[in-house]
Amino acid sequence: MIARRIRLIAVLAITLVFLLAWVFPIVWSVLNSLKTDSDVLAYPPKLFFTPTLEPYRDVLFGSASILPNLISSFIISIGTTVITMLMAVPAAYALARLRFRGKKFAGFYVLATQMLPPVGIIIPYFLILRNIGWIDTYQGIILIYLSFSLPFAIWLLVSYFEDIPFEMEEAAYLDGASRMKTLWRIIIPQVRGGIAVTVVFVFLNAWNEFLFAVVLSGNTVRPVTVAMFNFISVEQTLWAKLAAVSVLAMLPVVILGIVAQKNIVKGLTVGAVKGGGRR
Amino acid sequence: MKPFAPTRRTFLKAGTATAALIGLGPSVLRQAAAQDADLAPYKSAKIDWQQTSGETITVAVIPASYFENLITLAPQFKALTGIDVRFEKIPPAQIRQKSVIDLTSKTGTYATHAADPMYYSLYAANKWVEPLDSYLADKTMTDADWFKFDDIIPAWRAADSVDGKLYGVPYDGEVTIQVYRKDLFDAKGLKPADDLETFVKNAAALNSPNDRIWGTALRGVAGAGQNMYIYPSIFREFGGEWFKGGKLTVNGPEAEKALAWYVDVMRNYAPTAAANWNWPDIADAFSQGTVASYIDAHSSASVINNPEKSKIIGKVGYARWPKGPTGKRVSSIWNWGFPINAAQSEKKKKATWLFIQWAASAETQARTAHRFAGPAKRSGINRSSIWKDPDYVKLMNGFGDNFVETTMATLQSDTDVDWRPRVPQWPAIGDTMATAIQSALSGQATIKAALDDAQRRVEPMMRG
Repeated sequence: MIARRIRLIAVLAITLVFLLAWVFPIVWSVLNSLKTDSDVLAYPPKLFFTPTLEPYRDVLFGSASILPNLISSFIISIGTTVITMLMAVPAAYALARLRFRGKKFAGFYVLATQMLPPVGIIIPYFLILRNIGWIDTYQGIILIYLSFSLPFAIWLLVSYFEDIPFEMEEAAYLDGASRMKTLWRIIIPQVRGGIAVTVVFVFLNAWNEFLFAVVLSGNTVRPVTVAMFNFISVEQTLWAKLAAVSVLAMLPVVILGIVAQKNIVKGLTVGAVKGGGRR
Repeated sequence: MKPFAPTRRTFLKAGTATAALIGLGPSVLRQAAAQDADLAPYKSAKIDWQQTSGETITVAVIPASYFENLITLAPQFKALTGIDVRFEKIPPAQIRQKSVIDLTSKTGTYATHAADPMYYSLYAANKWVEPLDSYLADKTMTDADWFKFDDIIPAWRAADSVDGKLYGVPYDGEVTIQVYRKDLFDAKGLKPADDLETFVKNAAALNSPNDRIWGTALRGVAGAGQNMYIYPSIFREFGGEWFKGGKLTVNGPEAEKALAWYVDVMRNYAPTAAANWNWPDIADAFSQGTVASYIDAHSSASVINNPEKSKIIGKVGYARWPKGPTGKRVSSIWNWGFPINAAQSEKKKKATWLFIQWAASAETQARTAHRFAGPAKRSGINRSSIWKDPDYVKLMNGFGDNFVETTMATLQSDTDVDWRPRVPQWPAIGDTMATAIQSALSGQATIKAALDDAQRRVEPMMRG
């Protein structure tokens, strides 16, 4: 009993330490985003202060408004996520279920595209987009994002598809369902959790991407990650505004996470066939 | 032109705004209507400003008030030349990366960009940018009597040249100087240091961490433009030479003494966190009254005089770099200059030159500085003549005691073209040195080991 309690306390303590380390930057951002510039610099750091929405007003409606950047980020991230999922779900299903020539190679190839360090391919990407006139366009950035989100999504989804017992599909076929119908009616509802996880990751990667965005974007298309950087200027760092932008940029992802979580939990708890293991 | 008579109050307003201006578009544009828009001063130049009318060029700049002011005046440039300028604002760390990608791939995306003077060797070695002497000499392109190129700060011109050939025209720049708290110095009967030894003594006398006051702070964070921005001055003051017998040398007795001085000051008299500080952090700490002195860019004066943040306004004094054991004072020769991208049509190159000439001219410099209608005034003016203009001097003196005298004397006497090793391999060499300085500061390596290791790393770079 006592040993168990000690273990519980130890686990809780360790969890708490990690949680504090992870939560601190977020709390710090939220607090600073509500402060004036002089409060940000105050020592000792003020926990109690008169909150102001001035930083938010400035970054949203001021002269250096980041609203267009947030919109850019939304278009890029949603575009990337939708196209990725439309292509990745059938592809992952095919890789998990179908038997075709070169399947092994295709599986490896999908993963291999992830092995290049991104920095190494920036210049080729820049040149290609430049040649087809797609620098600083949505289609250009989404195209490049697909190059890493698609393999990632396929790779992630394959494992979910493989976990679905083949018996379920067979049952559907026996009832006369076509392959497409089976995929749509039977399989996809089963991998909802996996799809939710993939959507979150793909969206998150696209939303937070900086390296490609800074090189391939320009004045027309400029995601919020790039725009944020301008609050760290050569003259000074505008902490309060930077914090306000961070909080604003965090919100959509947090909301998406909360929405997706429900599906993730559901996906895990749906047990279809008892004892149905891997094929 | 309306008479200009700044009071302390208008000056402070200007200071705040300089700080607050970053990215301030529309409200500045509104003021642009009030801006002096007379083109006559430009038209007195004996060149045809309209010769490339109809061209469009893209100019990459960093988000900074001194470029914002220039962007505000772009409509005047359009009216004068018929050239459309698209400005793209890119953060300082990325502008190097993006412009190098553009230059290597010869795509000609940026007609010109705000260039780091340390990159000209690389640009010139690859012929990525145009030598500018022919543009200066061409009477159809430049009216020498009007442009008065020699009026531009000599050290900055030298910094933007390679082997005597000009590749960029300085637009705005800075020098490093000593900044100190008059009140704290007076209380202890101290004077700003005249040599590095006194600088350490002053820092020791004022260092009182228990009262949250540290003696000094220098850039500590690793980076070619961070700790490797301040260390080269110390290295040169201790008698260091980057090239010994034609070979790049970063170690040796002078280097060891210089690095030992830096490490000693940073470990004993600066806040521990300063090991991770860059210039804005130093200025923030100083403005909160926790640092008694620092050596950094004179342009940080606007941040420490920002009434919305600063607690030490009116208590600031300035002095030149303390002398090293060699008797030399070595300041930075930092400036943002404009080169001409070579991967463009001849007509675009001409349009780019007209833009550069306009931006670097005394008239535009004045219009973006003391004659700027908006609140942000520039402290990095490129013209010696404007540094003597009473209107400008009056405005700059609001930053504190001896600001103009110190900056002027530094510009004239303390700038050193060999401040940092100007070679095409600089970006990599700068990073290597930055890592070495940091590992010595953090105690990961001894001073000698850190420098010897850096030497081993830079040698193959110079061969390759």
